[in-house]
Amino acid sequence: MMASSYNAKEEDGHHSGSVGPGGPGTGKSKKPDNTAFKQQRLPAWQPILTAGTVLPAFFAIGLIFIPIGIGLFVTSNNIREFELDYTGVEMSSPCFNCSQTYSWNNSCRCSVPFTLEQPFESNVFMYYGLSNFYQNHRRYVKSRDDSQLNGDKRFLTNPSKECEPYRMNDKMPIAPCGAIANSLFNDTLELYYVYPNGTKTAIHLVKTDIAWWTDKHVKFRNPAGNNDNLTITFQETTNPINWHKPVYELDPTEPDNNGFINEDFIVWMRTAALPTFRKLHRIIQKKDSLTPTLPPGNYTLDIAYNYPVRSFDGRKRMILSTISWMGGKNPFLGIAYITVGSVCFFLGVVLLVIHHKYGNRSSNAEIPN
Amino acid sequence: NDCYSQSYPQLYEPGQRSLYFSKGAFIKCALHSCYSSLVLFFVPYAAVRDSVSTDGHDIADHQSFALLTQTCLTVTVCVQLGLDLSYWTAVNHLFVWGSLGMYFLVTFTMQSDGLHRLYASSFPFVGTAHNSLDQVTVWLTVLLTAVLCVLPVVVHRFLFMQLNPTINDKAQPPPPRRRARIRRSSTRCSGYAFSYAYGYGDLVTSKRFLRRPVPLRSAGSTPAGRSAAFRPAGRSAGYSPSGQ
Repeated sequence: MMASSYNAKEEDGHHSGSVGPGGPGTGKSKKPDNTAFKQQRLPAWQPILTAGTVLPAFFAIGLIFIPIGIGLFVTSNNIREFELDYTGVEMSSPCFNCSQTYSWNNSCRCSVPFTLEQPFESNVFMYYGLSNFYQNHRRYVKSRDDSQLNGDKRFLTNPSKECEPYRMNDKMPIAPCGAIANSLFNDTLELYYVYPNGTKTAIHLVKTDIAWWTDKHVKFRNPAGNNDNLTITFQETTNPINWHKPVYELDPTEPDNNGFINEDFIVWMRTAALPTFRKLHRIIQKKDSLTPTLPPGNYTLDIAYNYPVRSFDGRKRMILSTISWMGGKNPFLGIAYITVGSVCFFLGVVLLVIHHKYGNRSSNAEIPN
Repeated sequence: NDCYSQSYPQLYEPGQRSLYFSKGAFIKCALHSCYSSLVLFFVPYAAVRDSVSTDGHDIADHQSFALLTQTCLTVTVCVQLGLDLSYWTAVNHLFVWGSLGMYFLVTFTMQSDGLHRLYASSFPFVGTAHNSLDQVTVWLTVLLTAVLCVLPVVVHRFLFMQLNPTINDKAQPPPPRRRARIRRSSTRCSGYAFSYAYGYGDLVTSKRFLRRPVPLRSAGSTPAGRSAAFRPAGRSAGYSPSGQ
């Protein structure tokens, strides 16, 4: 400690040749250069919290946040959304019989009627929603082989160890392996519009463009070769345990939607963050700007009830929703912005009063010197 | 700086009285951390719950939610840091804004198509940044989180400055004069704040700090005596920082 203070004295101008490495007389000075950077004299901005900066900032935040919040809230209120729970837990539900019996071979069908009070304009998106389904469980999220799904042939026949116990079945490698793929959602939903006289017309559901572009074209690729006949490509593999059909029969009519690049499969493989989630199932495209896509009236949802959720107290829902510039219906952001803006404005007023009454006490003259 | 510290020696009292390192300070810090953690999770949770993106696709998936929370955290930390930094040189600007820019650069690089094509299993987040960071709601959530986390700190500091100003607040000169002054006086005083004016040489060679008369020792072998004079709990007898 004494040595450091001795050096400090040196910096004030006393030069001692014995300290430098070059020996007495030729000692290289240890004094740092007299530049602004090395002497810590750089021009600086010193912000401090004064009333002149804090109070206008509060009022500005209040004045900016409240209109944003109102805009978000109004937009969210204008989005049309309809939710229909078809799990069939109550005895009066049309799908009650399907939910009680679960057989591997027979697919149970049920039909749920509903009514839309208001017209749905522009593109309408049909989602399926699950509740109490923890797709964010750590071991579940890791149970996949991204290299296999990317079309790497080495991993097609030798999947990664992360997929255990859904890696091999009877000594045949599973493609696609893992628990996420094994639990693929396999209900089919069909929508019919019921005319007042009782006749039904099917509403055309589009099954492409439901997955992210990067997922469909970069992340998921079929193994190379024999693109028209995926049966040969996947011949050394077997389908996951819970699947009825192998991966190359997910959509045989469209080769661009078959195999690993099937969009329903891709959407399911994008694991959800929360236990209650919705995933895009189909899109109902708008006809023209005059007629609403879904006019108000009676509708029927025909369901092929394949997916069992009663064992974990889950729920299944079908959701119809329109979209806006802020996405789906979510009033939280609008309400939060209005609340924070109002609180900021109110705090600004309170702090202004406090500053007016109690401020101006701090001055240099008060400090005894 | 050193010139100012010489004119207001009372600025050293809070440190000697352990005002900033006490159980009260710890509890305040812990409360602030708890509040920030809750805000940083539940605001993104509520913002993306049951919501979708502007073209109907997923926005509440595992990877997008992780990226959203991470972005909220980084931006909030940078804003809080900006609030705590009281001396912004060019170096500070570079490192604070550079950190933020580096975060986005690394995120976009790690989630790019090229890296995924090279090592598919190691970079599974491909496309997440591209698909979620172009949503208006994501940026509005980030802004809301940053404001919510920083607002209580600003209110608390401003309130205490008005009602119960500490010695540090009272010693602050008005800002515009300060800015002009720092440039002109930079040639006269360096930014290195000396905590003593003249050094310890005359203190040690006088025998003032020794309790009992002892044989005269050389200057280099009295570390014990020096620390006795340097009690942190208050001023020691006979020694004052202004070197009298």
